[in-house]
Amino acid sequence: MSMSLRDKLMGLYSAFVYAFLYVPIIIVIIFSFNESRTLGQFTGFSLKWYQVLLEDKVVWVAFYNSLNVAVITTLVSLFLGTLAAYGMVRLDIGGKGAVDSLLYVPIIIPEIAEALSLLLFYKFTGYELGWLTVLLGHIAFDISFVYVVVRARLAGFDRSLEEASLTLGANEVQTFLKVTLPLSMPGIIAAALIAFTLSFDDFIKTAFTTGPGFQTLPLIIWSQSARGGVGPELNALTTVIMAISMTIAYIYAKLTMEKQ
Amino acid sequence: MSWMESLIDFVRKYKLLVALLVLGPPLIYLTVYFFAPFLITILYSFGFIGRRGVVTWEFTIKYYQQALRWVYLKVFYNSVVLAAITTVGSILMAYPVAYFIAVKAPKKWKNLLVVSVMVPYWVDFLLRTYALMNIFTMMKMMFTYEAVVIGMIYDYLPFMVLPLYANLEKLDKSLLEASYTLGASPFKTFLKVTLPLSKPGIASGTILVFVPAIGEFIVPSMLGGVSVTTIGTLTWDLFLKFHNWWRGAALSILYIAVVLITLIIYMRKVGELEI
Repeated sequence: MSMSLRDKLMGLYSAFVYAFLYVPIIIVIIFSFNESRTLGQFTGFSLKWYQVLLEDKVVWVAFYNSLNVAVITTLVSLFLGTLAAYGMVRLDIGGKGAVDSLLYVPIIIPEIAEALSLLLFYKFTGYELGWLTVLLGHIAFDISFVYVVVRARLAGFDRSLEEASLTLGANEVQTFLKVTLPLSMPGIIAAALIAFTLSFDDFIKTAFTTGPGFQTLPLIIWSQSARGGVGPELNALTTVIMAISMTIAYIYAKLTMEKQ
Repeated sequence: MSWMESLIDFVRKYKLLVALLVLGPPLIYLTVYFFAPFLITILYSFGFIGRRGVVTWEFTIKYYQQALRWVYLKVFYNSVVLAAITTVGSILMAYPVAYFIAVKAPKKWKNLLVVSVMVPYWVDFLLRTYALMNIFTMMKMMFTYEAVVIGMIYDYLPFMVLPLYANLEKLDKSLLEASYTLGASPFKTFLKVTLPLSKPGIASGTILVFVPAIGEFIVPSMLGGVSVTTIGTLTWDLFLKFHNWWRGAALSILYIAVVLITLIIYMRKVGELEI
């Protein structure tokens, strides 16, 4: 089937929109390899800005902090979010609608409102701002995303498989371990990926809930790019963080697309 | 009886207790670290909590009066205008793309096209906005309103494409053919068939873009500098620069109220929100 002119124009327009989405990202990557500091002029290929990053102790500490928070956030929110999803899909209890709405609220409330309420809460209850306060906030936000993703998977698969397992003599615990858990694994993995990305490159919640001495990678980008400061070191750092989160987001997208 | 049998026995007997054990931990966590903080914010906004977090039990609405002063109302208005421009701009950019992926694109390209929109969807605005700074610096466009508008559309675009695509994907193509067969032009078919059927998609996208865009902080701050003030930048300044938590809390509660009212109206008119 050949495309009409109208369809071709629409394809061209779409190509333009995709370029709009990706050209800025490509420019950051290209100029992170630029030899000179001159913006907009590529004078030669060089890895020296990555060298600078590798030798920067502050960057390494921030990288460790980002990774630390993201990994713990992922594990804890995965556990709590999956519990919630399992409970909501499988348990036969009343009041599910209300609980479901409660679990959705963190996704709907704008991040800045959540971030400042956490700050006020920590100040009121006397938490010392730093690693723990950042971590607790990230988990609170991620539970809901894990819940939504895992619940979709649990609700989606054929319930009769579980019934078959029970009929064939397996008990509830065996059925859960041998049937339910393996079948919901793709959902759990997808949820883990998304929980990690949301925490790893988070900026606003971290900025509001961190204290002196605890810095993550996005906070470095923020403080150095304030008042328009762009430069090859920052381009290199942004390239690294984007490469990590975009790769994970890509795997997530692939996983959820295949499900459909 | 082995431990497993007694466990199963327990599960069967005490259904409600099991539900508590399963749903309890996540709900308790969210109550403490999500809902309690909002309660504290409300208490701050009414002046119940004074300096150093001491409870004063003095109820006042003065922080709301301050938050509703003319200067702040203007900021609110500017934020809504910016969010509206962002929403319209992203619909105009997203609709043809979503339609192209859902209806026209060759099958083998479809997955790649959708995934390419999903990837930026999950990357934090900070990184993507920084990416724009290189270009705007080269074009000498930094700290202009235009840069902020382009940046907003850039960041929010995936939030519009995905719900639109999800909707158009479900569109029954035989309806389009029926319209053509009955003599309608492609343009008329679009106006009378496609567009009305895709209204829920447009509504979902509008909610996903408009609501957070009102409170957007990163884009106006990074690309607009001091030249553009929004609810987001104002909240940031009140909290992290001036430490005026009471006024900031009142402002934030007003913003959340706007968000909730918008959502309630949406739910009443359209129904389910797809994310």
